[in-house]
Amino acid sequence: MPTVPLIISEFYEQVKTHHTIQKGMPGLRVTYLIPPVWGKTAEQVRKDIVGKSPVSGEVVMQEIVENLTKPLTAEERKTGTIKPSTGPDRFTDTPDNLQRMFMEKRMTDYMPIILPTEEKVANMLKGTSHDPDAIVGKMAAHTAMPGENNVEIFEHWSYTVRTVAINAVMAGCRPEYMPVLLAVASTGKEAISVSDNSFTEGLIINGPIRDEIGLNYGIGAMGPFSQANSTLGRAWNLLSINAGNCGRVGTTYMGVVGNPMNWNNVIIAENEEESPWKPLHVRKGFKSSDSVVMLCEGWGVLSAKNSRYSVWEKEMDFSGTLKKIVADQDRLFGTLAVLSPPVANFIKEEGFDTIEKLIEFLAEPAEGMKMPPKAKMMLPQAKGKLPQGKMPFFMGPQIEIVVTGGSNNNYWSYGGMACRQSVSIDDWR
Amino acid sequence: MSKRWLISVFAVVVFCLSSGNPVLHGPVKVLGQDIEQKITVLSPIGMPPEIQLKPMAPRLDTLEGKTVYLVNDGYLGTDILLGEMRAWFQANMPGVDTVYKVKGGGGFAAEDPALWAEIKEKADAVVMGMGH
Repeated sequence: MPTVPLIISEFYEQVKTHHTIQKGMPGLRVTYLIPPVWGKTAEQVRKDIVGKSPVSGEVVMQEIVENLTKPLTAEERKTGTIKPSTGPDRFTDTPDNLQRMFMEKRMTDYMPIILPTEEKVANMLKGTSHDPDAIVGKMAAHTAMPGENNVEIFEHWSYTVRTVAINAVMAGCRPEYMPVLLAVASTGKEAISVSDNSFTEGLIINGPIRDEIGLNYGIGAMGPFSQANSTLGRAWNLLSINAGNCGRVGTTYMGVVGNPMNWNNVIIAENEEESPWKPLHVRKGFKSSDSVVMLCEGWGVLSAKNSRYSVWEKEMDFSGTLKKIVADQDRLFGTLAVLSPPVANFIKEEGFDTIEKLIEFLAEPAEGMKMPPKAKMMLPQAKGKLPQGKMPFFMGPQIEIVVTGGSNNNYWSYGGMACRQSVSIDDWR
Repeated sequence: MSKRWLISVFAVVVFCLSSGNPVLHGPVKVLGQDIEQKITVLSPIGMPPEIQLKPMAPRLDTLEGKTVYLVNDGYLGTDILLGEMRAWFQANMPGVDTVYKVKGGGGFAAEDPALWAEIKEKADAVVMGMGH
């Protein structure tokens, strides 16, 4: 069927140098429009479509007609197979030149790396019993949202245990972190999403591995205060950039304003010892002796003190405050609440001896709460699937609670992040 | 003689460096100057899939008397965009029958098999639109 896609010109590079090639139609006839379309009046749009395309210089409507009627060229009828090249499997130069080359070839996050010599990679591979040449997973710059019949937008690159180790070396990881990285890599979830929303990703780590690799879950738990916390997220990023072809501005990265949490993602080790509730991985069906990583995605997290509902009072109503905050969140990802041990214990004292009870309380619509217009507008189909009386979350009720950090004050954080996938770390030892 | 000896040493050092001799570590001094040792590192790049080229669908001789589906993928503003395009066809190419449809399926990237079947049966061409 002759078809013309309409796309705004900001995506020209992405479409021309990536999508059309990956989908096997390098010459796909696309008509590019003056950005944006969203937000323009009918009059403004009318002017655009009888004006010239910012890419071809042709009148937009005339070009659409031509794209549907002009006979195909030999190039446009071509069939066959293209085997993309990824360059040499090793590089030899001085350390300074290699640092520069890795940066120029966009194989880094623009910060210095540990150069992955054969010796360092071999040492990193001692952190797992898995075959260095075994394929761990496949990754694309965008993972389809949970749901049925989604089209894969980006191609999936595959990678081996060795590739994970090389990127782990570059990020500054220790060999004992490998099982965590391999567990994450096995999911194929990208750390840097292509989305223009500027998403970030997160990991919540539970079980004995936390102490084995020195993850910090005390004071400053989400900050850069241990080697494991500081490098795991970076290694996931580098793996995504290099092994998943993610994060290439203009093609596989389009975040409008970017996200500072993309530097290391949101890395959380749960403070199971000081939590009044069962650990997150146990709530997901694992044993407490299992080491597990949960993957999250969304906008990121920030201090709950930012919310107008979080006020300093002599006596706090933490569960009530959390409920109001949950009700105010955008429904795309729901809410991830990151509670410090004292706040979690206050909430328990407020009558929530299990997380399940707390989540049920939070999921009940607050009085007078209405579905946000954005949710209505974007996914009219979702309305029919909502459980009666529950909050209208975009992809099911996404409220997750994790306890971490110190006990030196009653602070906590929250954010629009959905945590959907738990993976065994022990399987990758 | 001394100059020849220095040149020989320099040549050996350069050879060792260029062959990635693992015995050498750190900067090496040659004629009083530091020469940085070359090292070999591994590529961190993954493996992209092969690309299967597909021919584009044959084009129409003309749009006159044909049915063009204008499909909205659900993005904001696309209804206005395609509405204006439909008006343009009606005003400038009245012989073209346009049909406006909103793609279902649950998201921008979701398949809508029912719509695809309808298009196969009833449409001659498609303009697929998105706002942004």
